[in-house]
Amino acid sequence: MIVSESDSDLVRRAQAEDIDAFCLLAERYARRIHLLASHYCRNSQDAEDLSQEVWLKAYQALGSFRFDASFYTWLRRITINSFLNHRRSSFFRRRGETTAVQLVQIDSETPESFLESHSSSPENIYNKLLFENVVSALSELTPSQRLSFLLRHYEGMSYEEIANAMSCSTGTAKKGVWRAIGKLRARLSPDSEEPESLTSLANEY
Amino acid sequence: MHNCKEAKEQLTELLLDGMDGRSEAVLDQCAECCAEFEALAATLRMTTRLRETVTPTEQYWTGYHAQLRQKLVHARDGFHAKAQRLNHAKEQREELKPGLGFFFASLRQPLRLCVKTSLLPVPLGLVLMVMASVVALFAIRAARQPVAPPPVVVHVPVEVPVIQEKTVTQVVYRDRRSVSKTPKRVVAGLTTDNTLARSQKLQPEDGPLTLSGFKPTDEVKLTVIKGGSPNEK
Repeated sequence: MIVSESDSDLVRRAQAEDIDAFCLLAERYARRIHLLASHYCRNSQDAEDLSQEVWLKAYQALGSFRFDASFYTWLRRITINSFLNHRRSSFFRRRGETTAVQLVQIDSETPESFLESHSSSPENIYNKLLFENVVSALSELTPSQRLSFLLRHYEGMSYEEIANAMSCSTGTAKKGVWRAIGKLRARLSPDSEEPESLTSLANEY
Repeated sequence: MHNCKEAKEQLTELLLDGMDGRSEAVLDQCAECCAEFEALAATLRMTTRLRETVTPTEQYWTGYHAQLRQKLVHARDGFHAKAQRLNHAKEQREELKPGLGFFFASLRQPLRLCVKTSLLPVPLGLVLMVMASVVALFAIRAARQPVAPPPVVVHVPVEVPVIQEKTVTQVVYRDRRSVSKTPKRVVAGLTTDNTLARSQKLQPEDGPLTLSGFKPTDEVKLTVIKGGSPNEK
């Protein structure tokens, strides 16, 4: 029977310069960090770079971890700081180039593989449209508002925790979350001006 | 009394906390709030669904972790090199300059001794300590001052511009009437004491000069006039 090591044990080993232990920690939490990064950045490459930057910073600062809180809480604080310091991706500056980027990705694949992976399933098309709309709506927010929403909705943090982590007031954190939800609702609701209603599609699946 | 704005805020919080069920107490049978609740719930359902679908495949994670491991190894090597450089620089600093911390630490022990043993009165001890510290500070400062290297004499040729003497040219006019009507060539010939001049004296003025009758002399008489040349020393 294999007993997995606790986070604290892995952190102690990692503090003694055991890279394998740190990689085990990364395997445990990389998906959560990557999920936040993929919603924070539009580009998947940017999200990958940003999430790996978080792990590198965590490795550099591991000596300062004092076991006062859980490892993930400490890691999330580093994630938030990295996100806020990260420069905005080119999409957020020039949104008009989204379609061109997408066409290059499609052209780089063979027609067979593209049909198998993308267009064969309506669900994939729906997910793609949904992702485009959600992230596009999030991109209209400021980085701090966007991050507040992600932390509240995906991480389940309270407004006090968000305010403490982002060094802002509770009211600012709450306002950011509500504004994000309002944008998403306006973009995804049935009465929005989008060419195709995503809500009706959502009901089908 | 039902307030739609407050109800909307409460509904949003309920939905974010995962309570997707309809709360009759909050909605209070308000049609507008019910519609708002449905729209918000649908929106958050979609984002939750998106969260599940955008997760990359296992193949992606294999490459992701391999790349991350490479970066970590590279970063660790960088840390070690940087730490070694910092330690080396610190050791060098400590060798060259004894810090103030070292100075005060050396004073601590005698001060304790004075206080504990009470060999000296406290004011006198303090005065002595201040004097000792001043002397020590001067000694450290003198030790820190770098020894000046012996002066090196370097010979460098330097061109110094010399102011040239000013040459003044003065034109002197003389009266034409005072000029002698004697031909210049004949006058000059009279002043010279040679055979050619004597032979020329015998020639008519308008005739051509010839060497007929020229007889070279056995002696050459030269007259040196001192002070005639500006370069003469």
